[in-house]
Amino acid sequence: MDYSDIQTIEHDVLVVGAGGAGIRAAIECADKGLSTGIISKSLLGKAHTVMAEGGIAASLGNVDPRDNWKIHFRDTMRGGKFLNQWRMAELHARHAPDRVRELEEWGAVFDRTDKGLISQRNFGGHRFPRLAHVGDRTGLEIIRTLQDFCVHQGISTHMECTGLDLVLDKDKVSGLVGYWRETGRFVLFKTKAIILATGGGGKAWKVTSNSWEYTGDGLGMAYRAGAELIDMEFTQFHPTGMVWPPSVKGILVTEGVRGDGGILLNSEGERFMFNYIPEKFASETADTEEEASRWLEGDKEARRPPELLTRDVVARAIKKEVEAGRGSPNGGVFLDIASRRPAEFIKKKLPSMYHQFKELAEIDITEEPMEVGPTLHYFMGGIRVNSDSQQTNVPGLFACGECAGGMHGANRLGSNSLTECLVFGAYTGRSAAEHATNSKNKSKEIDVNSLLLSEEKRIFSNLLGKEKNTEKVSVIRDEMQLNMDNLVGVFRNEEDCLKACKVISKLKSRFKKVGVSDKERPFNTELVSVLELDFMLDVAEAIAHSALNRKESRGSHYRNDYVKRDDLNFLKHSLAYKTNDGLKLKYIPVTITKWKPQERVY
Amino acid sequence: MEAPRKSLLKLKKKQIAIKVKGYRPTKDSEPYFQEYKIPLKPDMVVLDALNYIKDNIDGSLTYRWSCRMGVCGSCGSNVNGKPKLTCETFIDDVGDNLTVEPMARFPIIKDLVVDIDSFMTKLKDVKPWIINETEKPIEKGENLQTPEQVDLYKQQSMCINCMLCYSACPVVGTEDDFIGPAALALSYRYNMDSRDQGEKERLKITSSEEGVYGCSWIGECTSVCPKNVDPAIAIQKLKLTGSLQTIKELLLPKFVK
Repeated sequence: MDYSDIQTIEHDVLVVGAGGAGIRAAIECADKGLSTGIISKSLLGKAHTVMAEGGIAASLGNVDPRDNWKIHFRDTMRGGKFLNQWRMAELHARHAPDRVRELEEWGAVFDRTDKGLISQRNFGGHRFPRLAHVGDRTGLEIIRTLQDFCVHQGISTHMECTGLDLVLDKDKVSGLVGYWRETGRFVLFKTKAIILATGGGGKAWKVTSNSWEYTGDGLGMAYRAGAELIDMEFTQFHPTGMVWPPSVKGILVTEGVRGDGGILLNSEGERFMFNYIPEKFASETADTEEEASRWLEGDKEARRPPELLTRDVVARAIKKEVEAGRGSPNGGVFLDIASRRPAEFIKKKLPSMYHQFKELAEIDITEEPMEVGPTLHYFMGGIRVNSDSQQTNVPGLFACGECAGGMHGANRLGSNSLTECLVFGAYTGRSAAEHATNSKNKSKEIDVNSLLLSEEKRIFSNLLGKEKNTEKVSVIRDEMQLNMDNLVGVFRNEEDCLKACKVISKLKSRFKKVGVSDKERPFNTELVSVLELDFMLDVAEAIAHSALNRKESRGSHYRNDYVKRDDLNFLKHSLAYKTNDGLKLKYIPVTITKWKPQERVY
Repeated sequence: MEAPRKSLLKLKKKQIAIKVKGYRPTKDSEPYFQEYKIPLKPDMVVLDALNYIKDNIDGSLTYRWSCRMGVCGSCGSNVNGKPKLTCETFIDDVGDNLTVEPMARFPIIKDLVVDIDSFMTKLKDVKPWIINETEKPIEKGENLQTPEQVDLYKQQSMCINCMLCYSACPVVGTEDDFIGPAALALSYRYNMDSRDQGEKERLKITSSEEGVYGCSWIGECTSVCPKNVDPAIAIQKLKLTGSLQTIKELLLPKFVK
């Protein structure tokens, strides 16, 4: 390779990932006057945030003035089965309204109340209508607003650049090696702080609502650099993914359908969620269809329909109905809004769903029920950060958004993740900027040549140069996905998790023999998929091991062999970290802050 | 209850030949068609076919995609000559001779991947952000906007930047600098937003030589839009307000402008 064209780009702060959290963080850094860059492995504006549908949670109290941030905090903690990083959940609820108002000020479109305030809808686990939204394309609007604002601020965005490796100076972050897809060249970013905002890694499963890019890159990079991954066993299965046609299996059907009145039915036409109300939620969940209907009509005395229980509860209920032989023809259950709301209402409030089913399944949801089933949707776990600074245990390395763990505990409430992007994007931007400003410049000069030479060897010589490739990336990827679908799903047990760990370990050794058929440097997406699979295998390994070792059921992590929550032994966080002997696990207690979830007062 | 099925299961044949336009920057001087034969499944969309080819036949086939649900706008290509999102285009609907080409009007980087730099610049050029002299602290609460006020621009805000309208637009094909449908619709979206005061500033850009007057109102942009954005109408309205603005500037004394 000719090293004369090695490119080096310097920024005070480099943000990896251009989703909601990443762009919000970059805006904050730029606002502090720092040179800020964003790298994004896809095109700007295509990040996974665009796929968020239902809304963004903030206790604005526009629709029900009884709402306030403390109740939002309580709901979040309860949804997370008290395994949340308490301080993060507190900051999240407290600052949500300001971050939403700020976004509105920047031009985001929201549906409005008759008085012109931001309208709010109901969602699972949220006590009051709390979701600011625009139809069912809220994520798209958020990304678009942030993107335009960020361009307006003159922030450098480097598109189609994949982060490969963090560069450390002794133990602290000093840069990142990136890979330009268009040219196939490396680039070294020299920087004082790095913010990882790379999202989750749901593509380790086959049935997932996640997009092509959700391959755990940031989780993998952080893990390899010595950061800890917290509570990785907590993976959220969204109860309502499409189940038919097969090629779109897993694609999200927004919780907004249920928030706006949709109900779940089994093959016998029974509204089965009434049979699955957990004791803890019984006092605030309707137990008759009559009461649920009154709630929908706005009766504030009525309790919420059971379809709006938290996602873990609904996902398990659907799975149980299917296992009991009461599923729909394609292995899901029915989600019906057609018989509940007029066609015009559905088209206005859920335009994307209407369009999605019409285009992808030839189903008119204003006339027919949808078929839905659980789909891997979100990682509650992720990179461990300090709750106030969002810094990892690697100095100079920060994380926010889905790739950071801890805020949602054992189960995330729908729409809290968009809030998380804005609140912690801003927080992380601020503290990374502070870190960059305070760090004495001049970390040791990076030996660019030897660094990139070893990267060159790792990637190009070993892959492009290989003539006989005994393994294909698509084969290993498919086997990994099947493994996660079948063995690390909604219901788990010792035997399955153990098997999953073994399969992953075998796949990791087979991965070493993988090759690529595309020998070109420019725009080699096959090579990119190899690099991504490498990250995903690390992430899958951390999840399977963490799941194997949590011998209790809590939130999204349900063990058929340990069906009870065990606060005595497991009200603690799991930490997965890398050693020379491979992955290790340890546990730390949950930190309870001064803000206790308050009792409900009506 | 029975699940609906319909036309998706009525397969006309089991195998299909797909011609994909290929171009390798290190080898080829011109793009050329490559033919692949793949087993056809009832619910297969064009993107599934591309993924099938990449996984099983030709690992080097190159294209962009992401969400697989028609929201991110990454997978636009010309399918049988028409700009389409490949993730939403059922193979069974497009007929027997399936060809997939990169979007027209953009330089090709490799196979179906095109260079979109000019598009990103045009988007930025129309100042797609709220322009408002008065800064309101967020503690004062949100700006009020009635549902009727939102309806004035909501449709034009649905754009996913998939660029199909550029691929369809005959003017983009002949005038490189033409701002183009999506960016002009975006400009109109902000003009119509009650929180914004930047109309005058944007009209200067959209009424320029590269702006709305290049449009010959063929309306292809609107008809290919997968999100029902209506750039054609937006452009006509920008023409009207732009002209009124010009007349005002010419006829009225300075202090009433």
